[in-house]
Amino acid sequence: MSDKPDVWQGTLALMVLKTLESMGALHGYGIARRIEQTSGDLLSVNYGTLYPALLKLEQEGFIKSEWGVSDNNRKAKYYSLTRAGRKQLEKETRDWEQATQILARFLAPSEES
Amino acid sequence: MRVLRALLFRLFGMFAKERRDRELADEIESHLQFHIEDNIRSGMSPDQARREALLKFGGVESAKEDYRDQRGLPVIETLIQDLRFGIRMLRRNPGFAFTAVLILGLGIGANSAIFSVVNAVLLKPLPYENGDRLIVIRQQATRAGVNAISFSVPEIEDYRAQNHSLSGLVEYHNMAFILLGRKEPERVVTGVVSWNFFDELGVKPLLGRNFRPDDEKPGAPAVLLLSYEYWIRSFGGDPTVVNRTFTMNDRIHTVVGILPPVPQYPDENDVYMPTTACPFRSDPQMITTRSNRMMQVLGVVKPGVDFRRVQADLSRVAANLERAYPKEYPSNYGYAVKSTPLREELTHNARPTMLVLLGAAGFVLLIACANVANLNLARMSRRERELAVRVALGAGRARIFRQLLTESLIVALAGGALGLFLAHSGLDLLVAFVSHFTPRAREIRIDHTVLLFTLIMAVVTSIVSGTLAALDAGSARDLKEGSKQITTTLARGRLRNALIVSQVAVSVLLLIGAGLMLRSFLKLQQVNPGFQPGNVLTMRIDLNFSKYNNGDKQRQFYDALLSRIEAQPGVRSAAATMIFPLGESMPMQNDFMIDGQMPGQTSLPVGDFRVVSAGYFKTLEIPIIEGREFTSADRQDTPGVVVINRSSARRFWGNQEPLGKRISTDQGKTWLQVVGVVGDVKQNGLDREATDEIYFPLAQSPLLDASLVVKTTVEPMSIAPSIIELIYKIDPDQPAARVRSLEQVRAESIAVPRLTLSLLGLFAMIALAIAAVGIGGVMALNVSQRTQEIGVRMAIGAWPHEILRMVLGQGMVLTAFGLALGVVGALALARMLQGLLFAVEPTDPATFVAVAAVLAIAAVAACYIPARRAARIEPMTALRCE
Repeated sequence: MSDKPDVWQGTLALMVLKTLESMGALHGYGIARRIEQTSGDLLSVNYGTLYPALLKLEQEGFIKSEWGVSDNNRKAKYYSLTRAGRKQLEKETRDWEQATQILARFLAPSEES
Repeated sequence: MRVLRALLFRLFGMFAKERRDRELADEIESHLQFHIEDNIRSGMSPDQARREALLKFGGVESAKEDYRDQRGLPVIETLIQDLRFGIRMLRRNPGFAFTAVLILGLGIGANSAIFSVVNAVLLKPLPYENGDRLIVIRQQATRAGVNAISFSVPEIEDYRAQNHSLSGLVEYHNMAFILLGRKEPERVVTGVVSWNFFDELGVKPLLGRNFRPDDEKPGAPAVLLLSYEYWIRSFGGDPTVVNRTFTMNDRIHTVVGILPPVPQYPDENDVYMPTTACPFRSDPQMITTRSNRMMQVLGVVKPGVDFRRVQADLSRVAANLERAYPKEYPSNYGYAVKSTPLREELTHNARPTMLVLLGAAGFVLLIACANVANLNLARMSRRERELAVRVALGAGRARIFRQLLTESLIVALAGGALGLFLAHSGLDLLVAFVSHFTPRAREIRIDHTVLLFTLIMAVVTSIVSGTLAALDAGSARDLKEGSKQITTTLARGRLRNALIVSQVAVSVLLLIGAGLMLRSFLKLQQVNPGFQPGNVLTMRIDLNFSKYNNGDKQRQFYDALLSRIEAQPGVRSAAATMIFPLGESMPMQNDFMIDGQMPGQTSLPVGDFRVVSAGYFKTLEIPIIEGREFTSADRQDTPGVVVINRSSARRFWGNQEPLGKRISTDQGKTWLQVVGVVGDVKQNGLDREATDEIYFPLAQSPLLDASLVVKTTVEPMSIAPSIIELIYKIDPDQPAARVRSLEQVRAESIAVPRLTLSLLGLFAMIALAIAAVGIGGVMALNVSQRTQEIGVRMAIGAWPHEILRMVLGQGMVLTAFGLALGVVGALALARMLQGLLFAVEPTDPATFVAVAAVLAIAAVAACYIPARRAARIEPMTALRCE
């Protein structure tokens, strides 16, 4: 369909948490669109995998959901960050930064060559 | 924590599926609507907008499926699905389900039942707090061949003072006393114990208190503890019996407590009293005489000391005693002391039988498994079509394997439930059986260990009986019509035959086991006991010690009673005796001197002493071989006489004429003349050799406690009430106990082999029935699968009887294989039965031949039905079918 890469496995949760942190309560479609926009439309969210991921985060207690009404009067399920979710976000951000730093060092032009 | 929380949510996620599905649908719908609106806003037509949104979302249904997997626990949900489907499949085939559950139920039930016994008797720790540290201590005269000698009071005190390895040492003996203060005088079997007996065992009373040190002080008020069983039996569990008073031995006794329901060792008693309350034990002569040995001794090992060191320690004390009292422990006795863990003491009788039964039950389950495996295989061939469809629709092999195992599991669990029910129903019988071996029988129950065992049995059974079929079904199938793979059918046929052979082999094993027990039991019944048990009534009389406190009074009582009984209508003769044959064994081994024979290096001769009244031999019809029996002319003031049995005559006088020879039981102070020789009697059991018995006349050595034996011309139990009435007339405070006919006594004496035989026989019959059903079933399946072939054979001229013979022949070949295997196995295993057999070799050819015959007949009967059906096949119908 599209040649944009899908969101990598494992990073979707982090992106969802980050999105909810910056945007506040949001429904599923909004979260997906926001992730795509933030990536400068470089990423494409597979909507089919988004909802199981949201459910998993909710089961783990990082986000909570409640039914609400959108601006244009549409009933939708709104997700928001919990306190545990905020902590998890901090932790995952740290982990991720560390991982990218390590990877960057590996990929940097080697000093020998 | 997070993981747990998520798991919990997912567990809940398995419920209220409909509401959750609706919410999910709503959420996805609102997602799509948002997307469509966005698309329209960016200029698409409504149709285009909707299509683009759906496209972007991907498969809605597969997204929902992923979501559901995340919501619940797919593993459990598949399991539930499998269970539902399995139950549906089984309901569609109730014949199979019923047979399989019944067979597994029998197999598992046999194991649960026997395991509940093994668990209670052999595995569980003793229900005493100090159970693992309790030992039984015995004195022995190794050179005289006596290995269980009781202790005297001075000996107990010596061992208590001189040992270093025990934290406690308590004594015990038991007597029958008369308890007064209720409506009728009651004979109570009384355990006489050290005050700390139950404290050392670690048994706390159910009600009231244990004995205290003060209770055992000389002259202390007499107190009683009641055993739980006696309390329930005699007082209906009335708690107000604590603090009530009764009269025993002319003293007031106060009940201070009730014991909990624990196995009692060494005997099952009604009541317990401290040593000072027992008139015999507190007699001054008893307390000071080293050779008055009446007590048994239990010890509690100090924590951390192992049994070997205890034995060494006690042997050291024994050596001290031997040195200090050479007169009491002559060197030709080989004096020694032996300690045995109480646990071993309580269970060693039961162990061999229990292990044999456990093995037999295991074999029954093995047959059941093989049989159900065969049923499963047969069912698979009927379900080929269904399985092929499911494979075609994308079911993986693993999934089908799991599904079929789940079905096995359902069957096995139902079988396990049935097994538990059967085990539970048979529990009372089993307890009665095991109580012949050990007082631990009362601990037998279906507890959580037995439940767990049953569950494990069921799971293992399902795997064993289901795997073959599931593997078989897993082998590739395709849906092509009519592609009947001959090879699969052949392989499956071979598998089925192997299962049949193994069932036959194992049932042969069990049948031979049961057959050997049967032969042994028949031999036991044919044993000539040396007396005539028919029409003899027995009852026990324990005279009141304080009332009948000298020989004259005792003599008078028995004289009066016996003459009145003999005057009763329906009575031919009556006698009193210390013990009667096959009843309670009471070792009364004593040494004595033979006139004219020097003891020399070896110890004195030892014989079993019996005291009987005149008329005893006549009443039991024990043959007089030489001389005469006791008569009323043998009195206290006439010369002392004895009657000996044939074994004694042979052992002590060899070829000499025993009549007129003299013996002495008091180191030669007085001499007793042998006036008669009587036949040997199986005193201690039909399977035991007769001992060297010496009979003394009651008139010359009076008895306090005796048994009556009454030969009747009518049904013996029918005159029991009138005889008890006679006793009351002589002494209204004198109860009689254990009223039984000698025929009953004889039956009880062989109850253990009879019950072992019944259980083994039951197992063997179940095995035989299962195996026969198995052979029949497999032959029937063969016939139905070969309908066409048989039709062809008949069409080209085979006679029905040839077909019949062919099918029967096939069944017989399988049977013969199984029989051969089983016989080989039995030759190897039957040795384990040796200890349970009487006068039968474990390789008894007659048993083997009989078992082979029984099995062959059962197999022919089982194969006859399918064979006859095969012989009646109409060639034309057979060819047209399929």
